[in-house]
Amino acid sequence: MSYQLKRYFSFLLLFLIVAVCHAQSTLDSLKNELIENTTRDTLRIKTLISTSAELTYTHPKSGLSYADEALVISQETNWKKGEALALRQKGNLYYVQADNLRALDHFQKALRLSVDLGDDELSSTLNSNIGHIHADLKEYDKALERYNAFLTFAEESNNIPNQIRGLSNIAIVYNDLENYEEGLPYLEKALKLAEQEDNDFFQAAIINNLALGYKGLKEYQKSLEYYHEAKGIAESIGNKYILTSALNSIGKVNILLGDYDAAEKAGKEALSLSQETGTIEWQADSWEVLSKVYEHQKNSVDALDAYKKHISYRDSVLNEEKKAELARKEMQFEMEKQQTAAAQEIEHQQLVKNGYLTGAILLAILGIAGYFFYKRRRDEIEKKKISDFKAKVAETELKALRSQMNPHFIFNSLNSISDLITKNDTENANEYLIKFSKLTRSILENSEKKWISVQEDQELMELYMQIESLRLKNKLSYTFQVDDDIVVEDTLIPPLILQPFIENSIWHGLAKKPEGGHINITMKKGDGLIHCVVEDNGVGRSKTLPIQDGKSSMGVKITRNRLEIINTLEETKGKIDLLDIEGGFRVEMMIPFELQF
Amino acid sequence: MLKAIIIDDEQHCIDRLQLLLGNHSETIQVLGSYSSVEVGKKEIDRLKPDVVFLDIQLNEDTGFDLLSQFERIDFEVIFTTAFDNYAIQAFKFSALDYLLKPIAEDDLEQAVKKLIKQTGLRDTSQRIETLFHNFKREIGHSKKLAIPTMEGLVMVDVDKIIRLQSDVNYTHIFIATNTKITTSKTLKFFEEILDPQQFFRTHKSHLVNLKYVVSYIKGKGGYVVLSNGSKLEVAVRRKDLLLQKLKTI
Repeated sequence: MSYQLKRYFSFLLLFLIVAVCHAQSTLDSLKNELIENTTRDTLRIKTLISTSAELTYTHPKSGLSYADEALVISQETNWKKGEALALRQKGNLYYVQADNLRALDHFQKALRLSVDLGDDELSSTLNSNIGHIHADLKEYDKALERYNAFLTFAEESNNIPNQIRGLSNIAIVYNDLENYEEGLPYLEKALKLAEQEDNDFFQAAIINNLALGYKGLKEYQKSLEYYHEAKGIAESIGNKYILTSALNSIGKVNILLGDYDAAEKAGKEALSLSQETGTIEWQADSWEVLSKVYEHQKNSVDALDAYKKHISYRDSVLNEEKKAELARKEMQFEMEKQQTAAAQEIEHQQLVKNGYLTGAILLAILGIAGYFFYKRRRDEIEKKKISDFKAKVAETELKALRSQMNPHFIFNSLNSISDLITKNDTENANEYLIKFSKLTRSILENSEKKWISVQEDQELMELYMQIESLRLKNKLSYTFQVDDDIVVEDTLIPPLILQPFIENSIWHGLAKKPEGGHINITMKKGDGLIHCVVEDNGVGRSKTLPIQDGKSSMGVKITRNRLEIINTLEETKGKIDLLDIEGGFRVEMMIPFELQF
Repeated sequence: MLKAIIIDDEQHCIDRLQLLLGNHSETIQVLGSYSSVEVGKKEIDRLKPDVVFLDIQLNEDTGFDLLSQFERIDFEVIFTTAFDNYAIQAFKFSALDYLLKPIAEDDLEQAVKKLIKQTGLRDTSQRIETLFHNFKREIGHSKKLAIPTMEGLVMVDVDKIIRLQSDVNYTHIFIATNTKITTSKTLKFFEEILDPQQFFRTHKSHLVNLKYVVSYIKGKGGYVVLSNGSKLEVAVRRKDLLLQKLKTI
């Protein structure tokens, strides 16, 4: 019984494919079109699929190459619908060849594409086809689910033929479950629609199934009537397959009704037809009917012969069925295996994914933490560097001030004033004092500044040298030369940066020379630097070295520090050179050339 | 002949000033010297001097306490101080004269020359008022600047100054009320006394109130555009510092 149902599915399946594609084209004209028109476009894809569809039932293996080509062109031209259609056709071909596994695989791929495309009609046909596979695997729940989905869409889109297919397929599942009462209303509804549509093939198939249903319900008379009706339609449309099936069934029902003549007639007619078409399953049925008829006629020789033939054919059918059953089991096993493998793969991937995720999060946390630690450490180092530098700046500023306002200078000046007063030289004492206070005030004011103009600095240094000159009883003379390309009002230098060297020259070079001496200060511009020279014609360093008290070198050290700070801040290359010269001492200093504007 | 009195709490300072003023006996006559605010006030009222040499620190009081007791000051004031940068800044702001101790002879000579020139104008009250105004420390309080001009003293709200421009030894001051004042003070003088947070030397010849900068135009040094529409060149070396200042405003 089951193989009969299976054939029935196949009818519908064939119809589905052709209906979507070139329904009216014949195989030859399709093949011609393929030869004539070789452009790899959507038209060719459609033609290929139609050609393949035509071959589904007759030559499924050769149909495969057409579907394959359609699939390739669809992928090349990125025509998703073509791809889905080609996949469905391939699925049909595998289904017909009983390769359910591959069929299902292709249907599902096609379904995914059509869902993505939002093509509900295509999706519904695929649902129907997947339903066939479930029905074959006796997974009736799933089959019904798919068929119902197919039917719902057919109703929504008002597609009568598909409604008929849906209704019929659902009914067949119920018949297969031997739940005839549930199935009959579907068939009756389908029959009504088929009559409306005037579709003889559908009518024949549905009536055949109705007859089967009533037979199941033991309403033999009604069953017989339906079989006769099916027979009539099958004859009129020339469908020998349905005709044979109907004749055999008529024979069987007549035996049940005890009408052996009618049974014999039907059986013989079915046998000759099935022999003509070479349909083994129907031959087996026909021989069964005849064997029972002969047995009843007490024709034991013929009865035995018929029975033997029936058994032999049945066995071969059963073998086929067994093979199919085995294939089904294998497939189920295969599917389960694949499902398990897939589940395992998913689980594994999930695990790997989780692993990666955990790893990534951990790495990120570590990275962030590491960065923060690094940043904090770096900031601390940077902070320390800055604070160290600031400390150095502050310290140097203070020391610079102290070196300019050094106690030696202060008390020596005061001492000189006191000396002048005792000698009653009030005029000089007064002049000394005023200059001293002016210088002191200026030093205090300018000590806050980083830069002053060369003009202001020159005034300060001259004031300083005037004071020292007064103290040395005018034994000291000086010249101060600034090159014309240095604009004294706008050019900046650190306040009193040359003072320690002037002080050195006075104290260690000139003061020790009885006849006095001269200090020459020059400033020149070059290479983005001011070249300052303090030169004296004093006794020189060689004589002073042994009695150096360390204070003078302190002044130089402070000046070096100030210059270093400036070099760091301004990224310049200032430097100091101390040179012994013939009859005197020379200091060369390079300080960055800075303009106010 | 100018009548002068000296108010100082240290006798040696009085002595020295008296000694130095002796050199100017044909123009200045010292009527007396006093050492407290109380006596000083009384004697000024009695003697009505033309000029008062006033020490800032007078025991527990200050010279400002003395001045604040007068409703109208119709005498010239020359402050004497040893070292007080804050006060000196304020004097410069109010165009008041001052002498630094120990007083240098040539500084006094300059001051006396100025006195002879100025007597008769007598805008001391105004300048002292400006001084006191500037001492007030109130939020949103704008200082006043006393600017000596050919016509006399002009008091200008510092916040109303848009910019200052040097012109050899003169300075043109552009005020928000669309007026221009020209003074014989140098731009450097104003740069030194005006708040460096508010006024920025963009160029050798320009001192700009940053409050009035509306935009900066990129260039080698670039330009600043002020709210009165003037477009001023920025010196290359001042560019970075200017942009830094503009950002912090």
